Amino acid sequence: MRKLMLMTWVLCLVGMAQAQEKFTLNGYVRDASNGEELIGVTVYVKEMQNGVITNPYGFYSLTLPKGTYHVEFSFIGMEPLEKEVNLNSDVSMNIELKEIAMDLNEVVVTGEREDEQVVNIQMSKNEIDIAQVKKLPALFGEPDIIKTVQMMPGVISAGEGTSSFFVRGGSADQNLILIDEAPVYDPSHLFGLFSVFNADVIKDSELYKGGIPSRFGGRLSSILEVRTKDGNNKEFGGEAGIGLLASSLMLEGPIKKDESSFIFSARRSYVDLFLKAANQDNIVYFYDINAKANWRANNKNRFFLAVYTGRDNFKFGDDFGFDWGNKTATFRWNHLFNDKLFSNTSLIASRFDYGLGSTTDSDGFQWDSNITEYTFKQDQSYFFNPNLSLDFGYHLTYRQFSPGIIEPEEGSIFKKTELQKEYALDHALYAGLEHKVSDRLTFQYGARLSVFQSIGEQMVYDYADVRDNRNPERTDSTFYDSFENIKTYVNVEPRFAARYILNESTSLKASYNRMVQNTHLVSSGTVPLPFNTWAPSSLYLKPQKADQFAIGYFKNLDNNNYELSVEAYYKDIQNVTDFADNARVFFNQDLITEYRQGTSEAYGAEFMLQKKKGALTGFVSYTWSKATRLVPDVNLNREFYANHDRRNNLNVVATYEYSDKWTFGGSFTYGTGRPITLPAGSYEYGDGYLPDIITERNGFRLRDFHRMDFSATLTPRKNAGKKYETSWTFSLYNAYSRKNPFSVYTRVQMDDDDNIVGDGTQKEARLIYLFPILPSVTYNISF
Amino acid sequence: MKQLYKYILTVCAVALVFSCEETITIDTSTTDSRVVIEGLVTNVASGSYVKLSRSRNFYDNGQTDRITDAQVTVNTSTGEQIVFIHNPSGGTDSIGYYFPNPNFAGTVGITYTLNVEVEGETFTAAEEMQPVTTIDSLTSKIDEDEFDDPEEPGRHFAVFFFAKEPQDRADYYLFKFYRNGELLLDWPTDIYIADDEALGETIDDVEIAGYFKEGDNAKVEMYSLTRNGFIFYSDLSTLLNNDGGMFSPPPANPRTNLSNGAMGYFQVSAVDALEITVEDN
Repeated sequence: MRKLMLMTWVLCLVGMAQAQEKFTLNGYVRDASNGEELIGVTVYVKEMQNGVITNPYGFYSLTLPKGTYHVEFSFIGMEPLEKEVNLNSDVSMNIELKEIAMDLNEVVVTGEREDEQVVNIQMSKNEIDIAQVKKLPALFGEPDIIKTVQMMPGVISAGEGTSSFFVRGGSADQNLILIDEAPVYDPSHLFGLFSVFNADVIKDSELYKGGIPSRFGGRLSSILEVRTKDGNNKEFGGEAGIGLLASSLMLEGPIKKDESSFIFSARRSYVDLFLKAANQDNIVYFYDINAKANWRANNKNRFFLAVYTGRDNFKFGDDFGFDWGNKTATFRWNHLFNDKLFSNTSLIASRFDYGLGSTTDSDGFQWDSNITEYTFKQDQSYFFNPNLSLDFGYHLTYRQFSPGIIEPEEGSIFKKTELQKEYALDHALYAGLEHKVSDRLTFQYGARLSVFQSIGEQMVYDYADVRDNRNPERTDSTFYDSFENIKTYVNVEPRFAARYILNESTSLKASYNRMVQNTHLVSSGTVPLPFNTWAPSSLYLKPQKADQFAIGYFKNLDNNNYELSVEAYYKDIQNVTDFADNARVFFNQDLITEYRQGTSEAYGAEFMLQKKKGALTGFVSYTWSKATRLVPDVNLNREFYANHDRRNNLNVVATYEYSDKWTFGGSFTYGTGRPITLPAGSYEYGDGYLPDIITERNGFRLRDFHRMDFSATLTPRKNAGKKYETSWTFSLYNAYSRKNPFSVYTRVQMDDDDNIVGDGTQKEARLIYLFPILPSVTYNISF
Repeated sequence: MKQLYKYILTVCAVALVFSCEETITIDTSTTDSRVVIEGLVTNVASGSYVKLSRSRNFYDNGQTDRITDAQVTVNTSTGEQIVFIHNPSGGTDSIGYYFPNPNFAGTVGITYTLNVEVEGETFTAAEEMQPVTTIDSLTSKIDEDEFDDPEEPGRHFAVFFFAKEPQDRADYYLFKFYRNGELLLDWPTDIYIADDEALGETIDDVEIAGYFKEGDNAKVEMYSLTRNGFIFYSDLSTLLNNDGGMFSPPPANPRTNLSNGAMGYFQVSAVDALEITVEDN
């Protein structure tokens, strides 16, 4: 017996000795042409028949026994590179990959290995290919990634002309929209005609709909992560675009060659210039500015600072105007502690604000509202070995909610009035382990601990009945000092994912995630307006919680030419936040009495076929889905269809590189009509009013939505040999001019000049639709 | 506050600047006809009535059905009962209207309880009469835009309203504007209401609806509302000006003080009125 124990002891020592013989190979993989880090590059060790992929910062790390290895770096659109590595000590090796020289002036497709969707454990994720977005038909010729997001399987839009999107039965505020890790609270320009994301500076973008990794939290339904370019650190360059509605300019280049770089981009619309030309004294414009500086101090330390600011401004004559905008800033430090431990420290600030104002004599006022947050994030990746890696970290966010303040103008009938500010602290601790159990089976398991604190300074009121929104009665009040804890919510969010490879082109995946949301934006309509107000969880408002189960089948066909995926999901939401019927949401001192929390159930199936290689690229996506809600005091406490419940959705997107001169794009979208509340009758009241009788929320549907768009991009041949390249993009929106429903409302029958017809007792229904056939052209220069 | 709500509506309308419209036929569901009660008790003589009618299907037109055989009474918190009688004058335009017999004027601070019996069903509501602020004065001024480009020739005077808003209590108001005795609405679904949450004491130069020509009579009526009354009118305004639930909330029935599923409202108001003859100063 003692002998056996000794044997074990010796074996362990041998094992340890062997372990000490292991060394780590790590480094960054970059694009040789501009120094941008490449994400998702396959690093394959031939001798081990195993490998890893580079992380979101282009970093890889492999720990292997001492020896000589042949390591291959491969990436779509890039020449594969093989290196022989003699691993008798830790080796740091940075790699630069060159683009494959192509006859056609072909776009380099995004960063992933060819069978990425089959082998990667992540399911329910869509990459938004910015190069493709730029070639697709666009409204007024302005490429917009959100419009492509809205065409992904599992994503539903409210129609057209909005930047809102609804993921797997979740509402619009359940999407965490990030630009360089900073949240964007309202991604809309011009009430959603365009998004705040300027295509010129976007490097890549991903949408997570399920199986959400533990490093993300704070929203129930999706994470849209948008990363901007780092700027070319080899040579100066830029792009300029002149469109019908907006123009943009982007400049990038090295600050110190190979070490530091910058990128700057600005975009401004000029609708108001047309208005001025038409002699109307109105101002309507938006702008975006993105700037980023990037510094690689050495191989172990990398810094960047990214800022974004954008704003919409509307002013009507001298009387009335309003504006809104986002500001974000991200400072990040990537640090390599040792060969296996990669760390990422971020300081993030984000602010969204809106204002409304009038300068007329008697009712002049300025109303301002904002939400401001500061976040500290410490994220680590630890690479145990090629089969085991750990992500863990801590996030801390401080938020200030300022729902509204009215400042009267001189001589105004208004008095200065302020709605109480609210403050919150959000802590999150997470860990996630990715574990390659065998060649076929990989697990990812993790959890996120979310600790939310509603804190002072605040006066918190007791209500006789917090659901009485007609005559809210404050019975008592408690004052909380600055940072004094008012209410704490602790939630554990388990995350789990599994992938099983059936054969080299097929895999099965499954996932479960719980998500918790402590920042609520309830919009009374289907689409949030910039003037809706974010609110934190509080004594009365509980955290929203979602549990989602998803399974998927992933197959690549025809030598990875086609990617097919089929997924099904079930999502159950607790404490889904809504407003009571007839809620008064603007400037209500007792807004808390208008919130209602209920349950929501959503399920669906998604299908996606994608072609990423060749002259013809594109995708077909189809979604069948259902989403219902049950909320007290809404629809007489009966279940109703969510505003974004649209049973069938089909999207077809294609681009075709016809020659080195011409590229064509086309898209088709079809969706079941949005649910709508229509009357069951009407009655007379007061001074000729004919109000409707409403019996059921969302009991009807708008008619089906469908639309086809085309685009053509012309890159003249004379570009050859010049220092700059020009191109023209022609777009045709709504090619067959379908009158797609935006909304339906009722009124007393009127003629075209808005005069009441007859005795004013006949009611009628009016369909609002947005865009008829709309051609546009954009001119682009890149240098 | 009315101005604020109006601005919000403007904002929503602006969101639709790119839009076009057309009339469509909708499949509406039908519901059993409901009793509609429009009740008003004021502090002025002949200022009280109750109108009873029924709701109808969405695409019906003409006058809605009137209820002429109901029992209508109002009880006061001082123990009096006022009986309302259907159309005592027998006028054809007063069918469905019930008037107090004998005539009476309400008093601020008293609670009035409406009781309506229709075919064995009883509907009730109670409201306390709130005090109303006095309108200090009305003035008229030429509106430059209307002068340059009048909607109706000669009607280029705007009328302004002055008052003091008491700061020591919560007030809710309903306004009605008249030109030569005819009710004025800038838009057929306008309802002019205000709460005093964001109002200061001095209410100066507030423009009323419509434009006037020299010699026109301009009249402003200001009704006090209870908080419930304000909420009813605010809900009604939201319903009447709804965009179908895209930006505005989904349409919903206004919250009422009436029991038993009746539509409408029983309003109790103190009224102050002032009129001027519009002249060029």
